[in-house]
Amino acid sequence: MTLASERVEVPADPRAQYELSFREQWGDGVPQLPATDDAIQALLDASPYPADHVVCVLPPRNGVATVELVAINAALAGVEPAAFGVVLAALEALSEPEWNAFGLTTTTSSVFPMLIVNGPCRDELGIDYRASCMGGAAGRGSMTIGRAVALCLRNIGGQRAGETTKSVFGQPARFGFCIGEWEERSPWPSLAQRRGFSADDDVVTVHGGKGTFPMADIHNDDPRDLLYLIAKSLAYPLANMFLGNVENGEVVVAFNPMWAERFGSAFPDVDDLAAYLRENAWQPIDLWPAANAKLLRERGRVDGHDRVHLVERPDQIVPIVCGGLGSLHAIGLPSFGESTMQSKPVVRRA
Amino acid sequence: MSSNTIWVRRPTAPPAGDVSAPTFRLERPVAGLTIGLRTDRAWRSWQLISTIWDEYLRRDGAQTIAVETGAQIGQPASSDRKQINEFAGRVDAAIVGLGTCGSCTTFTIKDAVTVEEHEKPVVAVVCEEFTVHAHNVARHVGHSAMNVLVLPYPLEARPAEELQQIAREYYPKVLELLGVTA
Repeated sequence: MTLASERVEVPADPRAQYELSFREQWGDGVPQLPATDDAIQALLDASPYPADHVVCVLPPRNGVATVELVAINAALAGVEPAAFGVVLAALEALSEPEWNAFGLTTTTSSVFPMLIVNGPCRDELGIDYRASCMGGAAGRGSMTIGRAVALCLRNIGGQRAGETTKSVFGQPARFGFCIGEWEERSPWPSLAQRRGFSADDDVVTVHGGKGTFPMADIHNDDPRDLLYLIAKSLAYPLANMFLGNVENGEVVVAFNPMWAERFGSAFPDVDDLAAYLRENAWQPIDLWPAANAKLLRERGRVDGHDRVHLVERPDQIVPIVCGGLGSLHAIGLPSFGESTMQSKPVVRRA
Repeated sequence: MSSNTIWVRRPTAPPAGDVSAPTFRLERPVAGLTIGLRTDRAWRSWQLISTIWDEYLRRDGAQTIAVETGAQIGQPASSDRKQINEFAGRVDAAIVGLGTCGSCTTFTIKDAVTVEEHEKPVVAVVCEEFTVHAHNVARHVGHSAMNVLVLPYPLEARPAEELQQIAREYYPKVLELLGVTA
């Protein structure tokens, strides 16, 4: 197949290619693999779509993401052909209007697409869902897929720190964030199943996450007590969810498998668990100084008991199971608010 | 190709074209016209400035319509965008703000585009820190010639007297960008 993208001749020395990535602003500061025609073609061969198929249009520059351009960026990141479909599915998901990519790629917030993968492909592709899955586990799938999506936003979408994206701090996930769910250790249906897919489907869900918010406890064995404290922790007073529209956005909370087992015994139905978290994820209006409290009151956020709930509905709190067996910890992935998570199936060439 | 070189492919999308949708000017006095003011419920400073401009516009003989937005997705956003579309249909010209964060600048420009799509004069109001971003967004949605009024940054946390002074100082500039004549 003839590729349409511009060819560039570069010295074969990897260090020269690294320099080129800075000169041309193709990079994320980390060395890249060369996007040769062979590498690109191997990725295209794994896709059911032709090279000129438009996957999506990526903001902020409204760059047209053809399968070929996505493959070039995936080649730079070192994505294996078998994993290319996850990259494509992630881009399809984040370009759904309700994910609000235009807002999320330009905001002052740290928010970035966080990929959560379900299905049999997790092990095959090296997607991390056990110990240190959010950084440090170094699975090939997690590191390359997340990075490829980030490179697409940079190179196709034109996202540039301080120029087209105004993120004040950014976050480590802006290099790429891709985890799996430890479905086999979850007492509940997987995230993908809860979103309408089957256990056999490979699915990527994209969450607009502001960062990783750690929680820990060693003093309480009661699942309800612990979930109460998690709910209270998620409802920190400067959360985005207290700034905007209460009905938008989701907060993801990742439980380690040991805690998940404990929580599952108290809440066999994950919807009941989410409802319990929602019910307790509030702060008293008196917590906020007068200026904030005034606005919360004006926006109808204060209920009849002088409580301000983090979210309007239980489905806006999304539990997942992953992480190591060391217990003791949970991680929140706080929401930007004006973004709804999206899921897409991974499609591969038959 | 030399044996010491290899060929790779460029990973970037072609740059957006510089073709812009037309912009519009009033080319007449403001008296007797209906001028719209779009506010974002996030920014108290902008609510104050736009309230002052609303008073000035009515003093100068215009009618005004105000619309407040604050959502980017979901039903609230659908409602907001519908409101903006109706607003654009009802006004003779509009002042749309405020771009003083990343996403709110994006949606300031998007709502200003809606007014231009109704072939009405519009000014998008942004703060200095977000000027480049505003022009980028306008260019990338095909409205690179859009009128953008740049206010000082930051506006938030300034005392009311300073905001009133800024409103007074910039009112003639917003009229000029709308094409208001004496």
